[in-house]
Amino acid sequence: MKQRSTQAAAVMDRFRMLFQNLQSSSESVMNGICLLLAAVTVKMYSSFDFNCPCLARYNALYGLGLLLTPSLALFLCGLLVNRQSVVMVEEWRRPAGHRKKDLGIIRYMCSSVLQRALAAPMVWILLALLDGKCFVCAFSNSVDPEKFLDFANMTPSQVQLFLAKVPCKEDEMVKDSPARKAVSRYLRCLSQAIGWSITLLLIVVAFLARCLRPCFDQTVFLQRRYWSNYVDLEQKLFDETCCEHARDFAHRCVLHFFASMQSELRALGLHRGGIPESQELPEPPEDLDGGSGKAHLRAISSREQVDHLLSTWYSSKPPLDLAASPKLWRPGLNHRASIAAPGTKLCHQVDV
Amino acid sequence: MDKFRMIFQFLQSNQESFMNGICGIMALASAQIYSAFDFNCPCLPGYNVAYSMGILLTPPLVLFLLGLVMNNNISMLAEEWKRPAGRRAKDPAVLRYMFCSMAQRALIAPVVWVAVTLLDGKCFLCAFCTAVPVATLGNGSLVPGLPAAELARLLARVPCPEIYDGNWLLAREVAVRYLRCISQALGWSFVLLTTLLAFVVRSVRPCFTQAAFLKSKYWSHYIDIERKLFDETCTEHAKAFAKVCIQQFFEAMNHDLELGHTHGVLATAAATPVEADRTEEEREKLRGITDQGTMNKLLTSWHKCKPPLRLGQEAPLMGNGWAGIEPRPPRKEVATYFSKV
Repeated sequence: MKQRSTQAAAVMDRFRMLFQNLQSSSESVMNGICLLLAAVTVKMYSSFDFNCPCLARYNALYGLGLLLTPSLALFLCGLLVNRQSVVMVEEWRRPAGHRKKDLGIIRYMCSSVLQRALAAPMVWILLALLDGKCFVCAFSNSVDPEKFLDFANMTPSQVQLFLAKVPCKEDEMVKDSPARKAVSRYLRCLSQAIGWSITLLLIVVAFLARCLRPCFDQTVFLQRRYWSNYVDLEQKLFDETCCEHARDFAHRCVLHFFASMQSELRALGLHRGGIPESQELPEPPEDLDGGSGKAHLRAISSREQVDHLLSTWYSSKPPLDLAASPKLWRPGLNHRASIAAPGTKLCHQVDV
Repeated sequence: MDKFRMIFQFLQSNQESFMNGICGIMALASAQIYSAFDFNCPCLPGYNVAYSMGILLTPPLVLFLLGLVMNNNISMLAEEWKRPAGRRAKDPAVLRYMFCSMAQRALIAPVVWVAVTLLDGKCFLCAFCTAVPVATLGNGSLVPGLPAAELARLLARVPCPEIYDGNWLLAREVAVRYLRCISQALGWSFVLLTTLLAFVVRSVRPCFTQAAFLKSKYWSHYIDIERKLFDETCTEHAKAFAKVCIQQFFEAMNHDLELGHTHGVLATAAATPVEADRTEEEREKLRGITDQGTMNKLLTSWHKCKPPLRLGQEAPLMGNGWAGIEPRPPRKEVATYFSKV
């Protein structure tokens, strides 16, 4: 039993290490998510049951709708899933405060986010074009009947009706008709040609972009890459620090509550000798396990203070200069009195 | 799990071995894409050749460029090519080596595609069905009576069994068999040729310029690893910078609050030794670079003026405006080294 639990713990440890390894570089995480989304797109396409209406006006609507709507949805998904898009918007909208904004960094982050978000929609569009069903459905009515000799002895309205039914193999009117097969083949062939051309174009553009980028402004690129990575890391670390602080805060709050309950009971003389003197709860540790290095977290000890800290972080980020004296940039000292919070009333002020 | 991680790390350690893995995957993917792709010959006289040649040549081009794009070395090659010489001379042999090694790996998937296409035969059949010698394979006597356009239209439909209507002129099976046979012969010849070429290049190369080759290989690996390490160091630095920045922010708030109220018990505890150590550790990771301007200068000079490939020399970095860093102990080491000589 013990062996099993230690084995389980070892496995969990390894998983955690692997996960941390992946998370350590946010670029590789984003690439992984991008590939995952592309794989999901392929699976979605293959399991989707395409169902052309085979009616004159609805064909184009259905075909083009199916080509473009899922792509848009996948693009938005790609933006949602990418943490960096939120970081970018925050960096864009924050007030300058003590740290000036660099639009170049925001542009860099924007282009990186867009590139990754465009992968899955492109996969969908290319799959749809290479498969051909969407294209055949959307453009069967726009084919020029003169290309195909089989329509010579049909009235125009009959031709239109026939063309509308081309995508449906099982329909009575067009079943086993060589004309239908010819038109279908022609459209599929066109669709595949367009699909491959778009693929080639995208790849050539990607290749040129990768090759030619170092020819322009390499130093600016290095700087922007560094600082956009920094902004991302800082946001993550700030969130982690806030989590740590919240945990610390909650711990002290709960301990304070138990301690104050106990002292209240004692004051009212209600404990019927059941609680021996020696069994007192430890005082809320003022210097919680001294070596943990969290003194800077412990000063923030009330709701108003936390709110003030968070709003200051947004409205005026500290400057990117660690050696500068904090006096030069410290947030204003005006309204200290309102957020002064006596330690003992800790829990009662906090809405849990 | 350990083995998996070791393999993963090994593949990643060297860009070349990583790319070998990627090339293998792309070759398999290329074969898989071909089998999943629904070849759809248009069976119209003008369009057959265009479609087939397109299918024969466009995907290999796409796969080749994809192989290059996915290789991180391509941007490294371009960077190394375009950077100012600075204090490190550029070696065109290294650049040529990098390019050749990338191109060789990227050529594998296209070769697989072309080979599979030819061996399968549909593409060839679609492209050359109108060039079949009807006189020898079918009813040669009926050919002169047919106008050329009609003949072309009939023959163009050979790849499409459901619409072929020329059995009176030429049995479809005969034409298909004939063309597939030629296609497969071409396919195998192509495979043999490429394998032979690869073998000759690999075996004959050590006869020429082996020493220069070893040098180029070494320095190309070096450039790759140096770039990776620089990126990792920058990331570490950014992390340490962010940690110290946030810590300073909290401390500043903390300081303000103490000034504001009398109950300053909570955080006036002097920094414990452990806490001081941890802060020191973070600050050390910063390696003395503590503001945006200096970091930008560092990144600029990394590109414009790479350090020379000679360790143990405390050459003047003052020229780059780094006057702030105090002289480091290694200077003494250099002195003792020379004195020994």
